[in-house]
Amino acid sequence: MSYFFQLVVSGIVVGSIYALSALGFVLIYKSSRVLNIAHGQIIAAGAFITYALTVMVGIPIYLAFLMSMVITFFLAMSVERIFLRRLIGEPIISVIMVTIGLMSILDGLIYLTPFGTENFSFPAFLPVTPISLFGVSISWTQMVGVIVTFAMIGGFSWFFKKSTLGISMRAVSDDQLASMSIGISVPRVFGLAWAMAGLSAAAAGGIIGNITGINFDTLHAFGIIVFPVVILGGLDSILGAVVAGIIMGLIQQFASGYLDGSWGLNGTGEVMPYIILLVILLFKPHGLFGIHEIERV
Amino acid sequence: MSVNRWLATGNYFTSYKEEQRIFFTSLDRSAMGLLLLGLFLWPLFIQLDNKYMLVIDNILVAVVAVMGLNLVTGFAGLISIGHAAFVGVGAYTIASFARVMGENHILLTHAWPLMIVVAGCIGAIFGGIVGLPALRLKHLYLAIATLSFQMIFQWTINFMDFFNQGQTISVSRVTWVTGQVSRSQHYTFWYYAILGVIVLAGFAVRNLLRTRYGRCLVAVRDNDRAADAMGMHPGFTKVYAFALAGFLAGVAGALHAYLYRGVGVESFTLHHSISFLAMAIVGGLGTLHGSFLGPLAIKLLDLQVERLSEWVGNHLTIATNLATALKPLSFGLVIVLFLMFEPRGIANWWRIVRSYVKLWPFKY
Amino acid sequence: MKMNNKIKWMFLLGAVFMVTLPVHALAGKVYKLGLSLAITGPTSDAGNPYSKGVEDYFNFVNDTKMLGDDKIECMIRDDQYNNDITKRNFEDFVSQGIVFYLNYSTGSTLALKKDFEEEKIPVLPASFHAGNLTDSNYIFLPIASYSAQAIGLAEYIVKTHQGGTPKVALFIHPSAFGRGPVEDLQKAVKAGLKMEIVEVVEHGKDLDNSAMLKRLLSKGVQYVISQTVQSPVATMLKDAASLGLTAKTFGEVGKLTFLGCHYTGGNDLVALAGPAAENFYWTTSYIVTNEPSAGATAQLDLAKKYNRDEKAANSHNYANGMMVAQVATEVIKRAKAKGKEINKANLYEELLAMNGDKAFSPGTTVGPVTFSKTDHAGVDSLQLYVVKDGLFRSTGTPFIPVYTDKIK
Repeated sequence: MSYFFQLVVSGIVVGSIYALSALGFVLIYKSSRVLNIAHGQIIAAGAFITYALTVMVGIPIYLAFLMSMVITFFLAMSVERIFLRRLIGEPIISVIMVTIGLMSILDGLIYLTPFGTENFSFPAFLPVTPISLFGVSISWTQMVGVIVTFAMIGGFSWFFKKSTLGISMRAVSDDQLASMSIGISVPRVFGLAWAMAGLSAAAAGGIIGNITGINFDTLHAFGIIVFPVVILGGLDSILGAVVAGIIMGLIQQFASGYLDGSWGLNGTGEVMPYIILLVILLFKPHGLFGIHEIERV
Repeated sequence: MSVNRWLATGNYFTSYKEEQRIFFTSLDRSAMGLLLLGLFLWPLFIQLDNKYMLVIDNILVAVVAVMGLNLVTGFAGLISIGHAAFVGVGAYTIASFARVMGENHILLTHAWPLMIVVAGCIGAIFGGIVGLPALRLKHLYLAIATLSFQMIFQWTINFMDFFNQGQTISVSRVTWVTGQVSRSQHYTFWYYAILGVIVLAGFAVRNLLRTRYGRCLVAVRDNDRAADAMGMHPGFTKVYAFALAGFLAGVAGALHAYLYRGVGVESFTLHHSISFLAMAIVGGLGTLHGSFLGPLAIKLLDLQVERLSEWVGNHLTIATNLATALKPLSFGLVIVLFLMFEPRGIANWWRIVRSYVKLWPFKY
Repeated sequence: MKMNNKIKWMFLLGAVFMVTLPVHALAGKVYKLGLSLAITGPTSDAGNPYSKGVEDYFNFVNDTKMLGDDKIECMIRDDQYNNDITKRNFEDFVSQGIVFYLNYSTGSTLALKKDFEEEKIPVLPASFHAGNLTDSNYIFLPIASYSAQAIGLAEYIVKTHQGGTPKVALFIHPSAFGRGPVEDLQKAVKAGLKMEIVEVVEHGKDLDNSAMLKRLLSKGVQYVISQTVQSPVATMLKDAASLGLTAKTFGEVGKLTFLGCHYTGGNDLVALAGPAAENFYWTTSYIVTNEPSAGATAQLDLAKKYNRDEKAANSHNYANGMMVAQVATEVIKRAKAKGKEINKANLYEELLAMNGDKAFSPGTTVGPVTFSKTDHAGVDSLQLYVVKDGLFRSTGTPFIPVYTDKIK
């Protein structure tokens, strides 16, 4: 039984990290209908900036974490300004391809730094002994990760519900023409959405980097795994991203916990999300919390 | 007829049939003939290193694959981020035969043209299956469905013993009328084989677009409701587009397997899918010559960047990192710049040059 | 207007494509070698220092005139861990007339095996996969295969374990590279090695291994042998440390002792796992730079001469690259001393003759390099290292696993 609960706890931990990674993705999609394939690279950039600030510059890690969020905020904003602003109104394939191109460009830029190929790890700043309860344990790094995730998600939900800017962002995602007519600057909202996505990506990068160590391959893979998560959640729902993230985390843990090693299966945790993705697409394409506005054939 | 059959400065069509002609002037036809002749004859006069022959063959295989992708993405307007997986299906069809019957089985070595067609058919079946969500989904959702097919394909190959868990499954040399193709002839031989496939596929695709089956693809892309109203079934049309793309991808996969004399999962990853998309876009979506120009441009760019990297590495001591960063950087920049400044791809330049030549010496 | 502009652009782009870069001429004889490896892309954390090691050593050979007026020109190409590019690079090297080829990944070595046979060219890959050698005459492993390494670790477990049959789990990379030793270990167990393989875990990109570790523990596993790259091992070690499952001494009861083959260890592991790497057991045939030896000095001096940073200089993959370059240089030197022409066939012969009193000690390894018609694994001896205070320290003396011969 303790094994089961361990899987549940691990699933929630992993899942909330997925949720945080997916959050930025959803933010961009929600406001500008852009599928950002380069999200993993932005997550990686966030982790690298945090590391560079703590270890190379010597800023305390908490401060560095915040600073990297701010830097990535502006980084993502300029990415939108340079690459995507021109493509507003272009066909969807162009926009997807631009983010694919962006992914390559960011790859190239990251390979210019030592982070592209080498491994690093954050200096330890949390207690090493894990929190144990009823035979289930969770490490401090993971605990902090979960807390930060939920804090960020809470913050974003509040922002969208209550603040003027958040409401205007929702308005844009609802109807661009109408929001323009009441004086909302649509391009600015897009820029802001990217910036906020960058911010959440930096947070995700920092947390993942802390758990796995900083390795570019591991970090940018998160840009792909968010797809099943966001589809399950419904592409434009923040709540959906959270719930789906945790469901995916649980599914992965259960798959690798119970299926691997039996019937000659292995690595099922890797493929399970995509199988579920296909199933959802076939039967419930708007996901759990998405708006029912998918164009059917 | 009073119209000059060799040079025409404008369109003087008097019937739809005329507009549907493949070659508008005799000049076009002879130019095409000369080009084909040139393509088939040059290896007799110029001896290239194996490396370059391999590069050329590789480009040609990509051309076949991109022709398929262009059918589904360019003509039918369905984004596929899993095209490399379809190519992989073709390649693994050959590999499966090699696994089951032994790599030196006569079917594989002697009846290889048949095997290539079989691989294409298997690719078409998989294409149709993956296209099924297209009955319900559009745009983004469909793109993500193809992405998940890509991931599932990679996993299946990687974890199944039958597929050697992604390790290379070797495919033997083929036999031709002159006997077994030796190592020195290998690349030239496959140059001709793939070129033959391209010529056949090219004419097939060109003619497809003159028939109702081809035009319904375009109709569904441009406005599926209107197409529906005109009696086409948009869903089935899309599935059929995927199957066609799957067929060409499967053929490309089989050619890849024979060319490299082995099949390993590394050649059919997400990265390759993205490359194919980039080739289709840089070449020009929805055009046939885009399928030729795109792979050529992207692969040559890759090669030139590699050279440049090496040169930089030799002359500057700042370490290999700078040099190797250039490859993804240039690849990404090319995609982005094309989308921003020339979304219709190189095919559009070709069109401009053509009309310039056609109208010369007048401006318009 | 617009049209003219476009045409201009087209010419410009065309011109860019035309840029060809001239090849330089050198005095004396030039022996061409080729190396294709992943400097970027997957596994580049190992490939990058490896390429630096190769490059620096050949530069050193040329700069110190080790071969007199003759020079070695080693073309190093990045293949991004992509077999198709490796094949292209190889074809290029062959048409440029290389006499010796250095390869990298397990995948590409297996994929190109037939080409190596047909070209009859000696090959030293960075992959120590035992499967490289089946049906092949021209591939030589620089050091003992992964299988031998895993068997060596298993033998050490059996030797040191107290009380009953030790229960072992394998933690492997989901690829040919990772799966290589599994079968051979199972064979060794059949051949009489007294241990039990409880589970084989193929890892993915897991963020959390707690569940897996607890499962292994509940099955009574005490030892985990890893055959993968550093990053997943680091995640596992961190999880184990945070769960308090890591054994403080070898084989501590109720805890897990972690061991790993060549590519799991080295300074990168400590960099990734931090203090969680303590008491990780690692085996390889290379020396480490934090323990003084002639080889370590040579390695550090070489890195210093060519301005490499600390990280590269101390990497065991730098040693790895340096060592294959040393072997290649040595066979050229020997062939030259005999007055033979430097070509593929003669270098192959020299490699096969590298045994007995002609064994070659590069210094960067813990034992001599021996090759013969039947032995295509270079350094047969392995050294066991253990992490103490963030550094790999050797425990015991170099050893040669016995079961590798018994399972043949």
